[in-house]
Amino acid sequence: MFKTIPFAKGVNLHIRQTTQFKTVNFSIKWRKALTATNASERTVLTNVLQHSNAKYQTTAAFRSFLDDLYGTVLYFDTSKRGNEHTVLMNVEAVNDHYLANTSVLNEVLDLLHTAIFEPNLENGIFKESIVEREKKTVIQRIESIFDDKSRYAQQRIQQILRPNEPASISANGTIEDIQKITPTSLFEAYQSMLANDKIDIYVAGDINEEEIVAKLKEALPFNDRTPEEIPAVLPQQHPQNDYVREQQEMKQGKMHIGFSTPVRFGDADFAKMQIFNGVFGGYPHAKLFMNVREKESLAYYASSSYASHYGLVFVVSGIEPKNEEKALSLIKEQLAVMQAGDITDLEIEQTKAMLTNQLKEALDSARGQIEIFDQYKDLPEEFSVETWANKWQAVTKPDIVEMAKQVQLEAVYFLSGKEQAAQ
Amino acid sequence: MKTIEFKQLDETLYYEKLENGLDVYILPKKGFSKTFVTFTTKYGSVDRTFVPIGGTESITVPDGIAHFLEHKMFEKEDGDVFQKFSEFGASANAFTSFTRTAYLFSSTNNIYNSTETLLNFVQEPYFTEATVNKEKGIIGQEITMYDDQPDWRLYFGTIENMYHNHPVKIDIAGTIESIDGITADHLYTCYNTFYHPSNMLLFVIGAVDPNEMMTFIRDNQDKKEFPEPTPIQRFFDQEPTEVAIKERELRMDVQKPKVYIGLKAKETNLSGRDMLKHELSVQIALELIFGRTSKFYESVYDNGLIDETYAFDFTLEKGFGFAMIGSDSTDPVALEKAIKEELAKYDGDAHFESTDLERVKRKKIGFFLRALNSIEFIANQFTRYSFNDMNLFDVVPVLEELTIEDLKKAFSSVQGESQQTVFKILPTEKGVQ
Repeated sequence: MFKTIPFAKGVNLHIRQTTQFKTVNFSIKWRKALTATNASERTVLTNVLQHSNAKYQTTAAFRSFLDDLYGTVLYFDTSKRGNEHTVLMNVEAVNDHYLANTSVLNEVLDLLHTAIFEPNLENGIFKESIVEREKKTVIQRIESIFDDKSRYAQQRIQQILRPNEPASISANGTIEDIQKITPTSLFEAYQSMLANDKIDIYVAGDINEEEIVAKLKEALPFNDRTPEEIPAVLPQQHPQNDYVREQQEMKQGKMHIGFSTPVRFGDADFAKMQIFNGVFGGYPHAKLFMNVREKESLAYYASSSYASHYGLVFVVSGIEPKNEEKALSLIKEQLAVMQAGDITDLEIEQTKAMLTNQLKEALDSARGQIEIFDQYKDLPEEFSVETWANKWQAVTKPDIVEMAKQVQLEAVYFLSGKEQAAQ
Repeated sequence: MKTIEFKQLDETLYYEKLENGLDVYILPKKGFSKTFVTFTTKYGSVDRTFVPIGGTESITVPDGIAHFLEHKMFEKEDGDVFQKFSEFGASANAFTSFTRTAYLFSSTNNIYNSTETLLNFVQEPYFTEATVNKEKGIIGQEITMYDDQPDWRLYFGTIENMYHNHPVKIDIAGTIESIDGITADHLYTCYNTFYHPSNMLLFVIGAVDPNEMMTFIRDNQDKKEFPEPTPIQRFFDQEPTEVAIKERELRMDVQKPKVYIGLKAKETNLSGRDMLKHELSVQIALELIFGRTSKFYESVYDNGLIDETYAFDFTLEKGFGFAMIGSDSTDPVALEKAIKEELAKYDGDAHFESTDLERVKRKKIGFFLRALNSIEFIANQFTRYSFNDMNLFDVVPVLEELTIEDLKKAFSSVQGESQQTVFKILPTEKGVQ
């Protein structure tokens, strides 16, 4: 899929030549251990770098330049995976082929250099006014989660299950840690990111490979480095059966349930666990959807998701608060019937077909190709759709039952309106 | 079958109007492994007063019925259609908007099986009182979910402020009370009136052979019988130009206030290329006045009046249209004032410079080319454009010919003071409850 070329020590370039898209996509990922401090600093940093740089010192000047390059998209973001925190810069520009007598590619390569290596500084550090403004922006982003009840409830169940661990640390960091940031500390984080992080560079589009490699070497002068080893999350299960209820002013009740599994991404049983999740609540044919929604009409949504890097399974459903007990017992029942072996061949076949299709579909976008390759590239065997389709195909009903038996309920979180709480 | 080539874009579109009146479009995309199919009827939440097929008098149906009907199409005598799509490894879905109801799937395998399932389930209604009543609990929870979403309430509250009569002000899903009155008979009446093939469009895009697919669809449709198509009569009350409510606020459990300024459009009877030109002109005018490269943006950003949620947008359909500008803001009153002042001092000649116009045109062209990577975007947008007699692939040529005069003329139709409204969501006052 992607051809990997060593770029510098600790830095890899992955290239995919394809005529499938009308644009060329670049993605650069900087990786470091996930801690609240790192996440906070690096998130503010992405905002500062996106605001302006030495060449385009205001947002308006920077945005005008991008608009002129046929609306070239450039954004920084942060994300997390297991114990790893990633700063990413994505750039997408129209392929010259579709522009009459114009070339944007060379300017886009200059832009990569400018955005990363030529920050907007004052006395050798970031400008205080910009840092303070962007700190505020990130703090407001974190606070806004409260207004979205589903996201808030999901954040709460993560905190209840795995407090102060990567599984519950937001990729945006924390308000307390952001408040501590100074222009000097932020500049140090920036320098450390450029010099020490493990880096992956991706390019996908209709490009000339040799030419782009040469130009990227010029645009991205990353030095050799020995990045810190970031260990995988260790398996842990704590079936203490916590039950936390909270109230806000709202109408619907949000039930978020946390389960754990010893099986994580890349483990021998990973494919089996994916099938388990599909049958349990991953799709509209799954047990949760069919029973909680279709049969009992308790909810508009009822589904499960498998956070494979943390060995956690989450079930979410929005229900009428008076149906709290009924919904919970129905959800628990779906796991119990799977543990008892009540799984049809049809459910298994549907899940296998859906997983395979989902993977193939994701590869139809440049961003999807980059993200999937990035996730699977560190596994021992080379990634291909066929390999994974075969792994899913090989999963049997006893395998799924075995997975179900290892899944343990750890905590229930129920967020609902204030009136109901008085009952 | 007609072939329409777009050389500059490297795309070829295949089209045929079938005997029963169904418009079928097929766009093969090289390099893609998935196929995406949408089957859409020109029927949405605003179509609530109409003459039912075979009738003579107009009727008004309960609010939320188009969306309710969409839900109920998935249930058949032998079970849930999602099950079938899952067997083929296809992801199916549907949505209802103000003016359309779309059924769709995407898949990398068994394309013909899934296409057949899609055509058949949408063309074989099955409603009983029991299944209709069962759905009320599910949709009730969908409505409650939206009721708790401040951004949805902000959007809809702004629309409610703008309209006196037009049903665009009624929530697409209706209310728990309005859906309670829906019966199987209502669903059949709406279905028979609006789901005739001559009121629908099928769009197939992705890894597909156009000849084979067209034959497959034609064969499927030829086997079915439909009554002769009759024009659908829809009725809308007269809508004044000025907004219904100038200002309103709602208290919710939020951390930070939210504010939207709505601008009610008065030019809402366009179609075809005129509509496309008007729509793009208003969008570009908004971009020049309120976009991230504008003086306005710089000033409100530096003063801390907006955050990352800042957005502006323009929606236009037959009979209604509106622009919205707003953001979460710690000082919604100051932001409201700043937006209104910017609108008051608007002067086409000062705001619209030709270099800026050229820049925004380039940005829009780039956005459009990028969007063409998404087969979902093409299918959904093509259908919307087509229902308004516009052509999605005209976007670039129309953009290229836009002038400052076009922008001034278009923007003057949304800019009047009497067309402005404000809606705010404010945090619940502590202790008041």
